[in-house]
Amino acid sequence: MNLMADIKRFLARRALTFIPTLIGVTFLAYIIAFAIPANPAQAWAGGIKANPQVVHEIIKEYHLNDPWYVQYYYFMKGILTNSIIDPRWGYPVMTYMLSRFPITFQLTLFALFFLIVLGIPLGIISALKKDSWIDALVRTWALVGVSVPIFWLGYIFIYIFFYQLGWINIAGIPYPKVHITGVPIIDALLSGEWNIVWENIQRFILPGFTLGFAGIGVIARLVRNSFLEAINSDFIYFARMRGLKHRRIMTHALRNALVPVVTVLGLQFGGLLGGAPITETVFSIPGMGRAMVDAIFYMDFPLLIAGTFLVAIIYVITNLIVDILYAIIDPRVRF
Amino acid sequence: MSGPQFREPIIEVKDLYVYFYTYAGVVKAIEDMSFTIYKGEKFCMVGETGCGKSVTSRALANIVPSPGRIVKGKVIYYRDGKPVNMVELSEDQLREIRGKEIAYIVQDPSSALDPLYTIGYQIVETMIDHNTVKDWKEGYKRAVELLREVLMPDPEKRIKNYPHELSGGQRQRAVISIGLSNMPRLLIADEPTSSLDVTVQAQLLELLRKLVKEHGLTLFLITHDMGVVAEMCDRVAVLYAGNIVELAPVDEIFKNPKHPYTMGLLRAVPNPQADIEKLEPIPGTIPNLIYPPPGCRFHPRCPFARDVCKREKPPLIEISPGHYVRCWLHAQ
Repeated sequence: MNLMADIKRFLARRALTFIPTLIGVTFLAYIIAFAIPANPAQAWAGGIKANPQVVHEIIKEYHLNDPWYVQYYYFMKGILTNSIIDPRWGYPVMTYMLSRFPITFQLTLFALFFLIVLGIPLGIISALKKDSWIDALVRTWALVGVSVPIFWLGYIFIYIFFYQLGWINIAGIPYPKVHITGVPIIDALLSGEWNIVWENIQRFILPGFTLGFAGIGVIARLVRNSFLEAINSDFIYFARMRGLKHRRIMTHALRNALVPVVTVLGLQFGGLLGGAPITETVFSIPGMGRAMVDAIFYMDFPLLIAGTFLVAIIYVITNLIVDILYAIIDPRVRF
Repeated sequence: MSGPQFREPIIEVKDLYVYFYTYAGVVKAIEDMSFTIYKGEKFCMVGETGCGKSVTSRALANIVPSPGRIVKGKVIYYRDGKPVNMVELSEDQLREIRGKEIAYIVQDPSSALDPLYTIGYQIVETMIDHNTVKDWKEGYKRAVELLREVLMPDPEKRIKNYPHELSGGQRQRAVISIGLSNMPRLLIADEPTSSLDVTVQAQLLELLRKLVKEHGLTLFLITHDMGVVAEMCDRVAVLYAGNIVELAPVDEIFKNPKHPYTMGLLRAVPNPQADIEKLEPIPGTIPNLIYPPPGCRFHPRCPFARDVCKREKPPLIEISPGHYVRCWLHAQ
């Protein structure tokens, strides 16, 4: 099969569609920032008592008096060449954001882990034991999960597991000695520093669960419904008529049930990134989301747009991975 | 080619009742059903949509779909001459029989095949799970032979195809080779050609007849097409609203129909064995099986209905050797 050639062609075609998506996202973020009636230059220079000379320099440096399209052009050029300097810190904004990214990525991985190891089995169990207590639990979980705000849930968990029970840690990030990928837990795993792995788990397990909480219920519901649909389909009935073994019939049902789940997991990943700022703030995790929240407070638009740009890239790449997985699972899908 | 030649029974249905427990009420899909299929014969079941043909065929391997249940009766399967009651077997024992000794060919091949697996895989897994091949490699070799036997073009390539890559006729050929893969003793074909176009239908029926003859299989064929009945079968059971109303050798049914429903049916479709001037529909509609008509289930549509038909259910009686009718006209 010329699957690899198909994938290459597909990747090339998809890479082209990235460009308008990324331009669109950053442009929207830029327009929103631009529309805010504030004087960022004044704020960056130190507030009301700022030196007019400094304010003037900043306006010149960031083209703040130019029309919006010129400003946007310089912003994007600065982000892409990593030459735009953060007005608060003095680092290039992309360097700063990228240094924060591994932490957010680790948080999202923990949340995704819960989504997969809790969401999928819970869905299957509630499909197999339809209308049992576990089915009711999953239904309630999905409803509560989407209704409860992350910050509330986060504080409740902190109260119980940190304040009352003292099981977890909510300060600092334990880094391993080696630096390979930059993601602490992965580096610790690669270099075999098991105590650091354990400390990372202790630090991230609760924020990860909080971030994934709503998604677990959603995934479980989806798995339940698509598994029920698969198990009641004609080909499963025919598989029984063929006298296939129970295990094999379940494999057929499960693989068919997972086709829609893969898509939603991809979308959920984007949703998790979107939820990261709140979770990171509640659990004081120094990730990208936290940096973006701070950037909003200080009207640090370059940082905000850089962050948006990065999240958009991750989202687009995730979708690409989902599409490839989708075609691997379901032969009816063409590249 | 009639009853008495086939002395050795392969399956015997005795006094079978199948009910469906739905929210609207209990659907009495099959009542008081008894018939025997003999080794090596081609047994046919005809009737309108919803009369219980498919349910009967599923009951033979005790795989009536939910919410249906066999509530009463026996299905005796003669396994190497030893009778076993399918209704009493465990799910594990049934699994070993299904697909190996009693195999099915279903009506809609597009939805019967798993879209995510190649047809080769699906043929081979049917053999692997019944231990009729020693490994997957041998299984794939066998699958190619089977596909060649059902006249699939390019079988070596086709085993690597997914169901959606095949035409309707090719898919049905794949389903037939799954049915044949373990060389079953009884092959149950449930309207195997009704979802296909006419030319493919004819080819596949011809193929089916050839395969049954070559491998000495017993065939239980379900259809609503009298033409197919005339071409394919040795004996026919005519089903109406969950009851067998007439059972006879195929020539008897066409030349000497006794039940008013059979007569109506033959006038309503082009009769392959007699010239009729004009097709006449049977008046009325099929009854609701939650509240079936009392007495004879056909009486509301029957031109010969009498008082007794409304009160009492007629028994199935043998009026000449091998010819059974369930009708008060012939009961005395």
